[in-house]
Amino acid sequence: MTADEYLKDVLASQAMGDDSEQVKALQKHRADVEKLIRDTFEDTALTIRYAGSKAKGTMNKESYDLDIISYVSSDDNTAGETLEDIYNNHKSALAKKYYVEPKGSALRLKGCDAENLGVDFHIDVVPGRFTDETQTDAYLYQSGGDKKRLKTNLDVHLDHVRDSGVIDAIRLAKLWKVRNALPLRTFVLELAVIKLLENKKNKSLSTQMEHFWTELRDNSANLTVEDPANPNGNDLSKCLDDNLKSQLAAAAKRTLDQIDSSGWEAVYGKTEKQEKAARVEILRRAATVATPSRPWLPEE
Amino acid sequence: MKEKEKAEVEAYFPDLHFVVENDVVYVRGSFALMFEGRVLDRYSVELQLARNHPAGLPVVRETGGRIPRHLDRHILSNRTACVLIPDERWRLWPVGTSLLKYLTGPLHSFFLAQATVEEGRPWPFGQWAHGAKGTFQFYRELLNTSDLRMMTAYLDYLAAKKVKGHWPCPCRNGKKLRDCHVNQIKELRKNISRKDAERSLAILKVAGESAIEMTEANAPQ
Ligand SMILES: [Zn+2]
Ligand SMILES: [Zn+2]
Repeated sequence: MTADEYLKDVLASQAMGDDSEQVKALQKHRADVEKLIRDTFEDTALTIRYAGSKAKGTMNKESYDLDIISYVSSDDNTAGETLEDIYNNHKSALAKKYYVEPKGSALRLKGCDAENLGVDFHIDVVPGRFTDETQTDAYLYQSGGDKKRLKTNLDVHLDHVRDSGVIDAIRLAKLWKVRNALPLRTFVLELAVIKLLENKKNKSLSTQMEHFWTELRDNSANLTVEDPANPNGNDLSKCLDDNLKSQLAAAAKRTLDQIDSSGWEAVYGKTEKQEKAARVEILRRAATVATPSRPWLPEE
Repeated sequence: MKEKEKAEVEAYFPDLHFVVENDVVYVRGSFALMFEGRVLDRYSVELQLARNHPAGLPVVRETGGRIPRHLDRHILSNRTACVLIPDERWRLWPVGTSLLKYLTGPLHSFFLAQATVEEGRPWPFGQWAHGAKGTFQFYRELLNTSDLRMMTAYLDYLAAKKVKGHWPCPCRNGKKLRDCHVNQIKELRKNISRKDAERSLAILKVAGESAIEMTEANAPQ
């Protein structure tokens, strides 16, 4: 198996099909959350959509969040006068069914009933308000930030990733982040992958990944990323500070060394396909030393 | 139930437990599929030891519901597993060997085969066809003949209380038994119980030639 075949298998084993249990559970969660919000803000013109990896097609089975945006129309005050009000009113609405933890612009939902007490559902709801009637740009409230208001654009973010031509590399980089417990925001990682692979779109996946890690190892000090929806207004340098950069460089070096000394499997482990092949092989070996006994059935 | 047999099984399979209910001994728990000192897999089982254990075969049930209750998987709808054809018992678990040997022998092979089939692979040791066809396959292999009349002649002698040397040989070449296959018959009578031979004889007589034709059509294992 070549490195690229292997990486494709890794991605396939992390894929979440539309009729998979996980996706069905996500859809159920989304329906619950949407109903809770709409029931609370009956008179509000709301846009509720999937955001994040679900909308971008970059989900990995091993670790995923469900991101849902809930934007109020620009001229609508029924869900709150200010951005902060909208944020807090969403928080109260969601608190009817969840334990809600403010997390930047998002509200993270955790279980609050006896069965799921404190369980992190990995659902983030991001309230906001469209800037105008074109319903494109939106303002988000930032709890705990210096600036209380952040301009963003969901479709610009989604298109930036969906049209990047490097979705597979993004998914592998996300898996790498999870496996190495790197405290890097997924959004920032995506931007970094897209930027570093800008001229490598036509290369093989293994070449792309090696390039990505080589750049992180050798040039991370010079790496900057910009928010495509708000390049000047959203300073991401804090999300990629020197400390984090050196962590990324060290992890990238470790990974490249692993590939060098032990091959790609050392990075992502055995795939389901390989596990299955190994299991079939061990069952076959076990059979060679077992009593050759054939089952029967007394009746037809 | 000999305490020694129980201790031997429990030492090897710590997750299997002996229970006596209404004078019937059950061995219940998690059956570990062992290979090279590690557990490959586990199946939930119940073995009901025969009243005449160890002369009789245990009834085996897969209690976890993991194996589909389907004839193709050799599991009856009441969860009973068809581990082996009783006529072959002498080869797999001879009378007088311990219960542990049953567990590490044919039962191990049965669940190893199930785990293999679960992976979409063929039965590692093959399988007997169901009912009469499987019985025919077994005796065809054992006696090396597809002649049903010869087969039932042999089975008549295996089921008989006694056989006499002046009787005609079941190979039907006109000789007397004592001048022909007498040693083979002695050996077979030692291995296959009269009860098993009687049952197989009845199965083959009821099925007749039709079952055998179908067996021929369905290529044997
Ligand atoms: Zn069967
Ligand atoms: Zn003869």
